[in-house]
Amino acid sequence: MNLTQQLINGIVLGHAYALIAIGWTVLLGVARLVNFGHGQMYMLGAFVTWYGISRLGLPYILAIPLAMLIGVVVGYIMQRVLLQLTLKQDLVSIMIVTLGFGYVLHGAAALFFGSTGQILSTPLSMQDIYWGDLWFTYQDIAIVVVTILFFAALKYIIDRTRLGRLARMVAEDPQLAELAGINVKRVYLGVFAFEGAAVALAAALVAPRTPILTSMGFEEVIITFVVVVLGGIGSVLGSYLAGLALGLFVAFFGAFVSPAYAMAAAFAVLIAVLVIRPGGLAVSPGGR
Amino acid sequence: MSSGLKTVLFAALAVLGFFVPMALGGSGAIYAACVLIAIFAVMSYGLDIIVSDLGEVSLAHTVFFAVGAYTTALLSASAGLGPILSLAGSILVALAVAALLGLVTLQLREFVFSLVTYAVAVVAATIAQNWSFLGGSDGLRGIPLFEISLLGFSARNDQELWPVAYLLLVVAIYMVSSFRRSKLGKAAMMVHLNQRLAVTSGVDPQRTRLQVFLLSAPITASAGWLYAYQRAYISADVLEAYFLILMLTAVVVMGRRLLLGPLAGVALILVQEKFFSFGGYVDKIILGSVLIVTLAFLPNGIVGLFAPLRSLFPRRTMPLGKTIPERS
Repeated sequence: MNLTQQLINGIVLGHAYALIAIGWTVLLGVARLVNFGHGQMYMLGAFVTWYGISRLGLPYILAIPLAMLIGVVVGYIMQRVLLQLTLKQDLVSIMIVTLGFGYVLHGAAALFFGSTGQILSTPLSMQDIYWGDLWFTYQDIAIVVVTILFFAALKYIIDRTRLGRLARMVAEDPQLAELAGINVKRVYLGVFAFEGAAVALAAALVAPRTPILTSMGFEEVIITFVVVVLGGIGSVLGSYLAGLALGLFVAFFGAFVSPAYAMAAAFAVLIAVLVIRPGGLAVSPGGR
Repeated sequence: MSSGLKTVLFAALAVLGFFVPMALGGSGAIYAACVLIAIFAVMSYGLDIIVSDLGEVSLAHTVFFAVGAYTTALLSASAGLGPILSLAGSILVALAVAALLGLVTLQLREFVFSLVTYAVAVVAATIAQNWSFLGGSDGLRGIPLFEISLLGFSARNDQELWPVAYLLLVVAIYMVSSFRRSKLGKAAMMVHLNQRLAVTSGVDPQRTRLQVFLLSAPITASAGWLYAYQRAYISADVLEAYFLILMLTAVVVMGRRLLLGPLAGVALILVQEKFFSFGGYVDKIILGSVLIVTLAFLPNGIVGLFAPLRSLFPRRTMPLGKTIPERS
């Protein structure tokens, strides 16, 4: 039953990938911004959760909001620094600055948390479920359930609420939105704070699957690129499907070819898509 | 300033630069720092023409650096070739990789281009860590001394390697400066600033991009070539984010399109790291913060800060086009 086991792994991984990428999806789709420090923010979220549980003795359910709160603070500070560049829509500089932020976060986290690897164990990740000869944990179930709920709520907010309409308007035409009396800066700050919270949530849920290191984060960035680009930049539903597809691809590639090269292979797929269909990358304003 | 005078001045500066480590006391640590500054400056000059002239941000330049270093390690340690052949090999492999990457990313611009080049760098790092041909996570050891038997030259330490490093640096700066004066350099600037104008003036933007890419990669790769000899072993850490952040910071910190900007930038960073270090992690925070502050608050770099001072020294404005003869 190896095939079914891989299918389960792929579905769990897929939901994890979609959740890791969702902050970027919204960032690009709603605000047309990028964040190359995304991977390091994931790392920070994982370590704050770990710190909350093992050092502060918080229950897991409280460590998650703590990590998200730190994520919001980091995202807000980043956008505060970037604000002038954002208003000028200087994407190239924004990219490099966020890369710099990632580097600073890595240094700061290593200084604070130490550079040794840690295991983030949660009450859910300790409980295995055996179903015939299939194996998974309660953590895996939590990842799938939270991802589905998160995506459904986000889709509802972007499509149907006033907040979503505001964000979409800013994405479509920042100047016009400004004229219409919308505080564009606040929307940008809000979107970046959301990105911080979303990636911290993803880290708190997904990081217990593997040991955590302050030097991690690069793989998560590649995952995010692939999900965001394959899903059609900025599309929430597209990201979900792309995440799922990538998860299945990585699970099967890892099982039948080589786990070490799974990411490289996923990236090769991305390159192929980019070469075949460079026009398909157009940002759809509003992130729908 | 006339161009003849400029050439003489630059030549004098180039000769004087060679004696900088001696003037600073000539200790082993000084030579080590100077050799590294020269190597990393050459590495940054490759990226400089992409960022400053072409206006794109390539995050795959660590790959070219690694290509130079790994090719050199394989050719010298395994195949027993000398430095000149390993340099030729490094340049050839770098050109091949740059051509491939350039063709794949030809249609991509701005952040999608950077995104793909960043992904290339991350994937290259996983490949270097896992592929036994490249030594896996142990890396490649046993790179011989830098020896050119034809000239009877051998470098056993950084002091003896300094002439090579300095020569490489001068050649790289010369290449960048000739590139900026060349037709290709002008075409790149035009593509950067106004692509439509470039197309209507008969410049093919994609060809220009590819050519600049092919010029840039060997410069960065030649830095990797010398770095392999300097360190005597190479591992996947040449693909670490440190080199990427170092290059980017060096290119922007002084101000863009300044010929000696990347060199001054690298020198500033390495002097801090080698002589005023606060430990690896704090140094990381400092380097990252310098990059952030420069881009977010000093769009014209450190030199731009002093721009208002220039108005204190009124200069004759250079005439555009032909000079109009003065009437008497």
